[in-house]
Amino acid sequence: MSVAAQAPPADERVGKPGVLDRLVVRPEIGSLLGALLVFLFFSVVTEQFLSPGGVATWLDDASTLGIMAVAVSLLMIGGEFDLSAGVMTASTALVTAILSTQLGWNVWLALLVSLLFALGVGALNGWLVMRTGLPSFIVTLGTFLALQGLNLGITRAVTGTVQVSGMRSTDGYSSAGFLFASTFTFGGTSFYISIVWWILFTVVASTVLVRTRFGNWIFAVGGSALSSRAVGVPVMRTKIFLFMTTAFAAWLVGSINILRFTSVQANQGIGLEFQFIIAAVIGGCLLTGGFGSAVGAAIGALIFGMARQGIVYANWNSDWFQLFLGVMLLSAVLVNNALRRRAERVRR
Amino acid sequence: MTAGADDPVLAHPGQDVGPDDLGQPLLRMTGIVKEFPGVRALDGVELSVLPGEVHCLLGQNGAGKSTLIKVLAGAHRPDHGEILWRGEPAVLASPVAALRLGIATMYQELDLVPGLSVAENVFLGHERSRFGFSRRGAARAEAAALMRRLGHAEIPPEREVGLLSAAGQQLVSMARALAHDARLIVMDEPTAALASDEVDNLFRIVGELAADGVSVVYISHRLEEIRRIGSRVTVLKDGRTVASGLPAGTPTGELVNLMSGRQVSTVFPVREESAADERVEVLKVEGLTRAGEFADVSFTVHAGEVLGIAGLVGAGRSEILETVFGARRPDAGTVSVDGVRLKPGSVSAAVKAGIGLAPEERKSQGLLLDLPVAHNVTLASLGTYSTAGFTDRAREMADSRAVLEKLELRPADPRRLVGTFSGGNQQKAVVARWLVRGCRVLLLDEPTRGVDVGARAELYRLVHELAADGVAVVLVSSEVPEVLGLADRVLVLREGEVLADRPAAELTEADVLDIVMEGSAATELAGVAEEASS
Ligand SMILES: Nc1ncnc2c1ncn2[C@@H]1O[C@H](COP(=O)(O)OP(=O)(O)OP(=O)(O)O)[C@@H](O)[C@H]1O
Ligand SMILES: [Mg+2]
Repeated sequence: MSVAAQAPPADERVGKPGVLDRLVVRPEIGSLLGALLVFLFFSVVTEQFLSPGGVATWLDDASTLGIMAVAVSLLMIGGEFDLSAGVMTASTALVTAILSTQLGWNVWLALLVSLLFALGVGALNGWLVMRTGLPSFIVTLGTFLALQGLNLGITRAVTGTVQVSGMRSTDGYSSAGFLFASTFTFGGTSFYISIVWWILFTVVASTVLVRTRFGNWIFAVGGSALSSRAVGVPVMRTKIFLFMTTAFAAWLVGSINILRFTSVQANQGIGLEFQFIIAAVIGGCLLTGGFGSAVGAAIGALIFGMARQGIVYANWNSDWFQLFLGVMLLSAVLVNNALRRRAERVRR
Repeated sequence: MTAGADDPVLAHPGQDVGPDDLGQPLLRMTGIVKEFPGVRALDGVELSVLPGEVHCLLGQNGAGKSTLIKVLAGAHRPDHGEILWRGEPAVLASPVAALRLGIATMYQELDLVPGLSVAENVFLGHERSRFGFSRRGAARAEAAALMRRLGHAEIPPEREVGLLSAAGQQLVSMARALAHDARLIVMDEPTAALASDEVDNLFRIVGELAADGVSVVYISHRLEEIRRIGSRVTVLKDGRTVASGLPAGTPTGELVNLMSGRQVSTVFPVREESAADERVEVLKVEGLTRAGEFADVSFTVHAGEVLGIAGLVGAGRSEILETVFGARRPDAGTVSVDGVRLKPGSVSAAVKAGIGLAPEERKSQGLLLDLPVAHNVTLASLGTYSTAGFTDRAREMADSRAVLEKLELRPADPRRLVGTFSGGNQQKAVVARWLVRGCRVLLLDEPTRGVDVGARAELYRLVHELAADGVAVVLVSSEVPEVLGLADRVLVLREGEVLADRPAAELTEADVLDIVMEGSAATELAGVAEEASS
């Protein structure tokens, strides 16, 4: 109607935001700035940090954390948490190790069973959360404790100790090790293959998140599960799949660890779940869901790796790492928050 | 609505339906029963919708309208009853099943994902994709085309929905229903959040849909709308169908009688003797400005005076109220209560000075949905209900029960969780909060949004009572007759600018609409406005 055309609501007539403002609304912008700062800082104060060997070390440190952080970021965008993710990295390694060292299975077969186990636990997490309507924080706290108990109990029952070792002498170790734990040489320096897995995983996750219809559903179920269900988004399937993705990532990391170190402690992985969440939050994920970025989470993990190794190169006591982490987390969240506010103002 | 007289939509599409079609309804629901714990929301409802008609669903707050359409949308499963879709029995097991049949629904509580863009929301659940990959360009182009069709090409498809105004979000919701190519579109109080020009726009679309043979089920508490676009009417009362297939021309009195079982003479308030005491300036706002929202707004409200603010959605009305209340910080200007200047941008200072605000967005700003109504009602006045930190629950319950009875809350049980009440009843709880507290200045933002005719009359009476007790009331409403009938003085806003400040008695609905739309009413009006503001 002519009237409406003449007088559209004033608040929606603002022009297009500029390039800077559009950049600023990206969720990963805070982590990018942080990564840049940390990088410059340690490049200046230490010598090893920029050396090829140094780079390989902090990239490697970031890689396994990064794989998990990326998976966890998808889950968080979908509005859920997984506190069992850290222990899962040990559980999967233990399953593989016990099956191949104690029962003499071929490593590949052990890996397959371990994968099925992980996917099963992920599906169970998701199913319980969706079925009971309980917060995933509680449900996965339960799986976290249960897995922790299983890890210790079964390991002790089978080996009599709290660790499983001896992977090197198992069938199929060399081929599996090639895939998960080998190194490759680039410019004269050798890098762990886990870095490749990390990059690959990030690229796939990010593509799914921003380019596919499923990615759209992830944002939608995290933003408002009820509204999404009302328009036919398969909320349950989406969330269960996200829990399974996290479990898959834990399997990948568990496999990388067991094949590289050839042994695993039954109490490994505890406490890591918070590092995954911290990296995802530094990368721009909101705790409330519906907002975030997979690339951001990968960058968050990169900050972790750079700082952890940088502190070593600087010959500081590693006690300082926690302080650094706290400051980093707070400032990233504050920066993200401030930028988002600004973006909202610009767009209003 | 004055615009109705020359509106093209007046031709009732339903009346063009031939006798053959009349025999074969598109949808027929019979004996639908739906129970919630403690309430039988639907108790044997009948509804029959013909192809290409605009079928209006009327009923008081809590009558079961939204529940019925949720059954139709596949969001609720009925306990009993039969649904025939084009003559065939249909099971609406899920939202997807309903959408597949061609039933698209615009829910009463806006049902969008705030973090997604306009285009993503429009196509959520039926994404434009190839091999699982989103075709974002296509989705954006189609969403843009839909927004153009809705007369709002200025809303870009990549804009985040959470950043749009209520009216903007309503449009997105509408675009989504259109995107489904549905045969039946259900609209649950779509005009509650819209100003009159937006309503005209919506009605144009509804007319076009009906002409294309799409049926519309339309729910509204604004009875005059029924006559403008409706074909036939079904009336619900306490979960039962009390009349169906009535012609849209049925007199208002008769419809109200059917809905409530009693006589309500007028829908809008009749002007009463003003209670304003010119000697006592209670609220004084001077030069209030927020860049991009409103500029240089000044007004005074005396004790016992009701000041109405009229204007389009987006003219800055809610923003002004929120700024007076301290929820937004002004760039310039001052707010004083009883001659004392308030600290800018501080809600607690405003509340301490006796200002109360019943906000427009009840879900996000007003209510704690998981708490009982009683707690919600006394939330702002807990201080008066507690001694040494302990709350007097009995008195809390008794007082809220009294107010809620006055406002005709249904079901009349203050212990129930707010979230389980119907939309209109939730709105009553928001308003009740400030009635219990007793304030010096009461700011009401769209207080009757979604409230039925009977409860509305009661609310108007309460406002008059408050004014008679010396409270200064500021009322924002999109319904001009409501502003004119309730207020002593009217401020007309357009794009954040005060264009007129005049006694309500000197204004007609046409004057207000003219100023609101054109910015300049008759020249004599502009003169008066200057006079008033000087
Ligand atoms: N999820 C629920 N749980 C419990 N009771 C409910 C629920 N949804 C609705 N009800 C109850 O069912 C009845 C009908 O509510 P409904 O929302 O259908 O009313 P309505 O006619 O749409 O009213 P309004 O005009 O206020 O929107 C009310 O008594 C309400 O309290
Ligand atoms: Mg309703």
